[in-house]
Amino acid sequence: MKISLNWLKKYVDVRVSDEDLIRLIGSRLVEVEGVIDETHKYDNIYIVRVESAERIPETHLTLCSINAGSAPVQVVCGAPNVHEGMLAVWIAPGAIVPASVHEDAPFVIGKRKMQGYESCGMLAGADELDFGDDHSGIVEIDPEMARPGDLLADVFELKDLILEIENKSLTHRPDTFGVIGLAREVAGVLGEKSRETSQNSFGLAQCSRNLLAISLEAPSICERYSAVVLMKHGEMKRKYLTWVDTILAKSGMKPISPVVDATNYLMLLTGQPLHAFDYDKFVAVGGKETPEIKVRLAKAGEKLVLLDDREIELTTNDIVICSGEVPVALAGAMGGKSTEIDENTRNVILESATFSLYNLRKTQMSHGIFSEAITRFTKGQPAYQTLAVAESCAEMLADGFEVVGVADEYPKPAPEIIVNVTRNEINGLLGTDYEKDLIVRTLENVGFEVNVKAGGAGNEMFEILVPKWRTDIHIKEDIIEEVGRLLGYDNIVPAAPLHATAEKNRMFELKHEIRDMMAKFGANEVLTYSFVSEKLLTKVGQDIKDSYKIVNSISPELQYVRQSLVPNLLEKAYMNQKLPVDKFAIYEMNKVYRKSWGMNEEKVPVERMQMGMVIAERKNTGTAYYKAKKYVAKLLAEKNLVVDFVPLKTKTAESVMFEPKRAAEIVGKDGEYYGVVGEFKNSVRNEFKLAEYLAGFELDLDLALEKGSNKKTIFVGKKEKRDLTVTTNDNYVKVVDKIKKVLDESGLAAEITPLGIYQAEGKEEKNISVHLEFENFNDEIMEKLENL
Amino acid sequence: MQELERLKNELKKINAEAAGIRDLPAEKRGDFGREINAKRQAILAQITEAEKAALDVDVQPIDVTAWCEVNEALPDFYGVEMGARHPLMSELDRVVEIYQLMGFDVKESRQLDNEYFMFDSLNFAKEHPARDGYDTFRTEEGLIPPAHTSTMQHRVLKEYRHRLDDGEAIAVVVPGRVFRNEDVDATHEHTFYQCEGVYVSRDCNMGQMLGILQEFFEKYYEQKLNIRTQPGYFPFTEPSLEFMIEKPKALGGKKGDFLEMLGCGMIHPNVLKMAGINPDEYHGFAWGGGIDRLVMLKYGLSDVRYFESGNLNFLREFN
Repeated sequence: MKISLNWLKKYVDVRVSDEDLIRLIGSRLVEVEGVIDETHKYDNIYIVRVESAERIPETHLTLCSINAGSAPVQVVCGAPNVHEGMLAVWIAPGAIVPASVHEDAPFVIGKRKMQGYESCGMLAGADELDFGDDHSGIVEIDPEMARPGDLLADVFELKDLILEIENKSLTHRPDTFGVIGLAREVAGVLGEKSRETSQNSFGLAQCSRNLLAISLEAPSICERYSAVVLMKHGEMKRKYLTWVDTILAKSGMKPISPVVDATNYLMLLTGQPLHAFDYDKFVAVGGKETPEIKVRLAKAGEKLVLLDDREIELTTNDIVICSGEVPVALAGAMGGKSTEIDENTRNVILESATFSLYNLRKTQMSHGIFSEAITRFTKGQPAYQTLAVAESCAEMLADGFEVVGVADEYPKPAPEIIVNVTRNEINGLLGTDYEKDLIVRTLENVGFEVNVKAGGAGNEMFEILVPKWRTDIHIKEDIIEEVGRLLGYDNIVPAAPLHATAEKNRMFELKHEIRDMMAKFGANEVLTYSFVSEKLLTKVGQDIKDSYKIVNSISPELQYVRQSLVPNLLEKAYMNQKLPVDKFAIYEMNKVYRKSWGMNEEKVPVERMQMGMVIAERKNTGTAYYKAKKYVAKLLAEKNLVVDFVPLKTKTAESVMFEPKRAAEIVGKDGEYYGVVGEFKNSVRNEFKLAEYLAGFELDLDLALEKGSNKKTIFVGKKEKRDLTVTTNDNYVKVVDKIKKVLDESGLAAEITPLGIYQAEGKEEKNISVHLEFENFNDEIMEKLENL
Repeated sequence: MQELERLKNELKKINAEAAGIRDLPAEKRGDFGREINAKRQAILAQITEAEKAALDVDVQPIDVTAWCEVNEALPDFYGVEMGARHPLMSELDRVVEIYQLMGFDVKESRQLDNEYFMFDSLNFAKEHPARDGYDTFRTEEGLIPPAHTSTMQHRVLKEYRHRLDDGEAIAVVVPGRVFRNEDVDATHEHTFYQCEGVYVSRDCNMGQMLGILQEFFEKYYEQKLNIRTQPGYFPFTEPSLEFMIEKPKALGGKKGDFLEMLGCGMIHPNVLKMAGINPDEYHGFAWGGGIDRLVMLKYGLSDVRYFESGNLNFLREFN
């Protein structure tokens, strides 16, 4: 939304600087996104009288002598409508063409020769002045408004600041979508009352009412429908540039025709959108002698051709305006082709109504209509002013049209809303100490009627009548917000914070510990998206059907909710190897979802917190599996989790990408599944174009948290340390089991750590070496062990 | 391997068959061509699969119970000079720590939720246009990857309301990942982190909320800060406001250079009511703001996209 500050000031007395005003609007009403400074946009542009105009033979040009208040100036003009005696707009040499001021290279007017004649500056058209895109001729000024030599900017109040406010910032305040409503609020934040702006009533009551019949299917789709019938009695020829034209242009709209301009101007002024139908076409479509307006929901299969020539198929949610039974407009969104106003229009029906914002919101989405009108309707325009705005429109058009009929259908007028709140409730919630009078004045400034009732101990009760344009006020907290906001939240003194004891979040703490540990061991934490592509799921062999699918994803790359973390890490591993980073261990801790896990008791999907890691090196330095295992084993050991690494057998979303011959399942002592560690299938590794040295793991952190502890068993006494080598055909864990068995039988305990595995060339058996640290020791034990 | 041979022979046969199209009358060629082509595509897909499988056939098994490969050294961890915490995560830890020191419990946010928690329980009217402002993603089932951590507010209120019966306050912060369907550029990400705060007691007020927020930001940026507010609109708070801080001088801020840090307000009575808390007896306030922006400001980062890039040239700077 664009708001001219000059226009706004017509409805509120501003006694502070523009800078302060904009700051106050920002801190007490709504964020001002931007300010367009038009103070100098129309510098050196004058109103002039064309004293003589002579055609230059064999060209379309006219040689003019103009009076800009002093000596005559010669200008060559190409417009067909230039004529002697008219007041025109002259862009003097050195001035910038207003339409180009925001371009990278603004166009500066100079002196130049045209067909051998010197032209000093130019006579401007509406498009050059940035008042729309009319290029048919030059602008003509009403001689009653100005004299030659006047600055255009002075005559039309163009030295202006335009405020830019995002529509969605005011979603809850339909009443501020018109300048009058906005001015009322601005007055409120300045601590003043806005200027009275009574809607003119000019005796429409005596007009015949039977020219129109209105029927509404239900108040729930159309709360109120007002209409005025106008009959043409004279030409409303667009001749002079008007102040309304400049206001439309500043607000981001374009002048089109007198009737359309009047409806647009009033919408910008009051927030109430209007629509004009060609009366005679309307009657003809309905097939009756007089118009019968019917507002109803569309029926399935009905079609309508809109003003933009699109034929749309209506849905049963769309509200339509019908002539008799025939739909002629999509209510609140766009008029229909069959009743469009054109240059031959004699009689007009002006519609001023309100419609269900919920229906209109769906209409907006399903037909893709984003007009100024529907933007206002979908905020929920109040119904109180429909008739008054239609009457104002008739008044604006009085030069060319007279009112011949009025109708107003408002079956269930909105009830008055009264809210009760006490002074203590207001100050209690805000943390303030506002006096009674200040509160009352603040509310009355923006239209509330306040009846003060005495309460105990200075705690007055306010009985507050809500103004009819405030559809958003229902409860006492709404009133408290008004008081706090209008008086400025910045005036509330921040209080001393409250202290209590917090409980720790164990998962947060676990992740914090892992972060510390992993940083120490040279690993890098990464974050990757929670959404992945079908391609990625397929590459690693995960079942697409187990992923929740996003129906409105940004791109195919982000279409499915991920089932595990390692696939994203493989993608990031490729990117990093390309950088190039020679070696790295990247990991992520985040939530994952699978459809097969079902819903929890809250009826939302079961989620798990997992950790994934990928280790990759550009040169092959050995067997990557063991490095990945070292990282995951260290993490589990820190949490006192005792696990076995057993050959892969369970097929899960995390295991499918691992090579069964070079990967292990991580299994707890009660058989619980912690995850998987290993190298990846060659086919998977090829898909990611990764170098051969590659391994990773995926771990269930929820389980690790549930089963783990920080318990430490520390032996501080003397330790006996020995190395042991066993020659064997067994695998490592069998050897360790045998050692433990021997120790057990001897009633001894030792910590066993691996040293290495050696196999001589051509030999079947291996030498497995381990290091033993005994807490208690006897000499026979080593003998027993060496005989294993 | 044999399977691959067989499939390749099959493909040859189909190609030979395809040559026969020349002998067919013109009107039959279309159907024949389509049929042959479908067969060929099916075989080609099988060949791709078989070739992939062949890659995995000759892999040598290892002893997964051991700690190193035969005749190889035991592996080492990488050196501490390579490692780093993710800056967003270590800062989130710091954020949470400050709130904990101020007495707030911590509950992490979900990453897939439903319409009820995301909107209904927060006093958004059904079909209300305010829902559009959140640019939510949706799954086929109508689930929502949450667009704000307020999706946890209803749960927090219910889970902790027993505190009120014990005469204590509800004081909880909710960090978590959130999602918005918007185009990504240097200052916008579709995936980012927020931290929500919820406080409910018998007599809390807006001044206390502003006090807590000011204290938080001063602790986080380790200096005194000027604060400012402006009116906002959220269906779940009433009054609603936007909270701003003056950009710290040490971070290149000039006087009057205010930055929007979060949205906040007094919890709407309907939200309390829906969670089984009597709004006539208790008041609350809540706030929520982005973590990414907080961290970008602290480190002077210019591009939010670095956070989810996984780029080690960026991440290792936080060693």
